[in-house]
Order: sequence, then structure tokens, then C-alpha cells
Amino acid sequence: MSVLDILVKYQSAFADGLATTFHLSLIVWAAGLLLGTVLGTFGARWKTAVGIPSRLLSFSLSGVPILVFLFWLHYPLQAMLGVVIDPFVTAAVTLSVINIFAVADVIRAVLADFPAQYIVAAQVCGMTHAQIVRHIQLPIVARQTVPVLLMIQVNMLQATLFASLISVNEIFRVAQQINSQIYKPVEIYTALGVLFLCICLPMNGLALWLKSRYTRDFSER
Amino acid sequence: MLEAKNITKSYSGHLIINGVDVQLEPGQISVMIGPSGSGKTTLLKLLAMLETPDTGTISIDGTQYSFPSPPNQNPVKPWPKVTVVFQQLFLWPHLTILQNMTLPLTAGRREASKEKLESLIELFDMSQFIYRYPNESSLGQRQRAALVRALLLEPEYLLLDEITSSLDVEQVAIILTHLKDLAAQGIGILTITHLLHFAHQAADRVIFMDHGEIIEQGGKEVLDAPKQERVQRFFSVIEAAS
Repeated sequence: MSVLDILVKYQSAFADGLATTFHLSLIVWAAGLLLGTVLGTFGARWKTAVGIPSRLLSFSLSGVPILVFLFWLHYPLQAMLGVVIDPFVTAAVTLSVINIFAVADVIRAVLADFPAQYIVAAQVCGMTHAQIVRHIQLPIVARQTVPVLLMIQVNMLQATLFASLISVNEIFRVAQQINSQIYKPVEIYTALGVLFLCICLPMNGLALWLKSRYTRDFSER
Repeated sequence: MLEAKNITKSYSGHLIINGVDVQLEPGQISVMIGPSGSGKTTLLKLLAMLETPDTGTISIDGTQYSFPSPPNQNPVKPWPKVTVVFQQLFLWPHLTILQNMTLPLTAGRREASKEKLESLIELFDMSQFIYRYPNESSLGQRQRAALVRALLLEPEYLLLDEITSSLDVEQVAIILTHLKDLAAQGIGILTITHLLHFAHQAADRVIFMDHGEIIEQGGKEVLDAPKQERVQRFFSVIEAAS
């Protein structure tokens, strides 16, 4: 049975797994990009009250492997609290938290390093705060952050595979289940790799294109 | 008139500007000279209210600002009626030279006067580089762009921080002529410079600063025959070096 045969025969199962993966990814991307941007902006604005605690949490999180964090939230925490939460929800929350802090770190760093002189120059030209944000700050910050954020989102998509380990029926778990039936690991995991290549390569390519198009060297001669 | 009285400013306990009185008359070019670190740029920022004086008053055509400001008072800043062109220029890097010059107007949904824009581009010989980005332009080109950006705003007081430092002789002459035209239109101009011949040709009024104080100010006689020994010494060093 070839890779194509497997993809055709189990297309329904793969489609369901892929749908779960996308569903999970969309939640993680949306939460990370929205809340991470808010947290990063607040962290840059209120360094002591928000920025430092956020960085400490982010630093601590970065020292814990995603898998350990996911397992800990799924088993020990729920056992301690005496609750049972849907693994999909646990995975969504875990990966969202990781994404939120990753996005916040990028946004906060770019905002904190934003050259104040660009704002001063706009102020003396009589531009309002809203005009400065719209025409000066947002375009410059977006050029610096969008490619990096896209790369992070690709990593988060790949990280959704860990959800299979707490029984979320996403694409990797579906592949494992099919493999347990027909035992064709080379073909199945190759098919999985091809699927991920088809999804991740365009996203990585877009990130690289945006990076080369917009994050050109601003330094002056 | 833009008038500042008894302006002081300290940073971290160091007195940078000490009880300065200065006046900018509409239609006059005032030239500020002094050694590096004498407080010229700080005074310029204070006059533009980019920095807040610790004490003193600034009056701009009858609108008075007192410092320290009364509590809970956030005075409306006088921009772009008073505008500044900085030594470091601060062009926005994501915009072309043309966009840099017109953004302050277009952002406020005002049209840049096409005739005025074209005449300034022609006057400062900028047509070859207006579609370039700042980092693709030379310092002299960026200086001209920053000046044109300020001029398009039609300010009533124009504060210039060594904007001729990277221009060639021809460009300095063009700027000098244009500053005189602007002054003739009633704009009050304050320019910091180290170029004595530029100061001599431009100045209606000369202000010499050192250690955060105005040591001497007056007409062109300050350049020709300064009274203060410190000013004489400064000019003689510059003349010897040139």
C-alpha cells in the first residue's frame, strides 16, 4: 500500500484528524496573537506591574518542555483539583498559554526598543497620538514582528501534535490509530510529513518573504 | 513673539540650563552658538516644549506656559506652530523621503500644497531622491528632507539644530537664502550652528551659550566684537582652527 493509497483509503479519518488539528491551532493562534499582543503591549507600557511578572513567567515557562507542561496540566493538576477536563480543552489552554507568552515576549521587546525619536519627530510635526500610532508605530512594529510571529505560529501548529499524547484525536493520533491497524509506519508517517509540509512550508515561505520584503535594514549610512 | 523667561532645567541633580531668558521675534533669525555640551540643544527642546522646564515661563504669541505646571494641568503643546528640525533628523525609516515630507499633512487629512511641495523639491534639488528611503539617502539629502518636512507645515517659529552640518557650500547657501525668505514672511527662526560665516550671514540676533547660561546676546556685533572674554576666546579658537 503506497502513501497515496493510504491517504485515499483513510481520507475520512485523516480529514477528521486534520480538522481537529486546525480547530486546535485556530484557538491557539487566536488566543496567542490577541492576548499575547495585549500582554506584550501592557508589558511595555507598565514595565513593573505587568512587564516584569510577565517576563518572569515566560522565562519559567521556557524552561519547562511543552510535553511536561501539557501532562502536568492534564493529570496532576486535574487530580489535585478533583476535576476532569476534556483533553482538547486542556491542550488548547496549554498551547495557548505558551503562545500568549511567546507572542507577548516579541511584542514587548519590539515596543520597548521602539526609537522614541520617531515619536518626537511626529509630535513636533503636530501629529496626534492616534496618527502617530497608526502611521508610525504600527507599521514599524508590524514590519519587525509579523515574520517572527508567523514563525511562532508554525511552531505552535507543530506543537499541536503533543495533544495526541493526552488522547486528543488530532492528526498525529489518527495516524497512530491507522498504523496500529495496518502497521505501515513508513508510509503513514511519510504521509503525515507530506501533509505538514504542505501546510507549514507555505507559512514559513510567507514569513520569509515578509521578512525579506519588509524588515529591510533601516540603519542609516 | 516666543519669549522664555528664567528657564531652568536639571537632569539627575545637574543643572543644565540656568535661568535663561530668550526671545524669538517673528521675522527674525536668531543664531545660537556655543561649545558642545553648553545646553544649546536642551534649550531648543525646552523652547519647543519637548522637554518641560523645571522653572520659568514660556510665552508664545500671548499663550503663556508656567513651570512648574499647576497640578492636573496638561497644556496643549504648540506644535506644529513651533516645530523643530533635529540634528539627528529623525526621518521615519519605513517611508520614502517624499512620504516623510508629506505624512504630517496627509495624516491630518490635509493636502500638501502641490505647488509648494514641488517648489521646495526643486529649490533643494531633491527630485533625484524623493522616492528613496532614508537609509538609501545621504546625510545631506536627509537634512534637506527634514527641513522641507518642517517647512510644509508652515510653522510660525522654526527651531533648527545644526541642520547645515552635513551640507555642501552650495546647499548651505540655498538654505541661508531660504531662511531669509522665511524670515521675511514673518517666521521666527532659531538656529544652532557652528559655522561662523553662516551665522554672520544669517543672524539678526546672536545668542552665545556656555555651561547652561547665555553669556552674551545681541545683534551681529556679538560676532564681530564680543564683549565677553569667554566669547572672544571661543571665536578666536574657531577662527584659528579654520
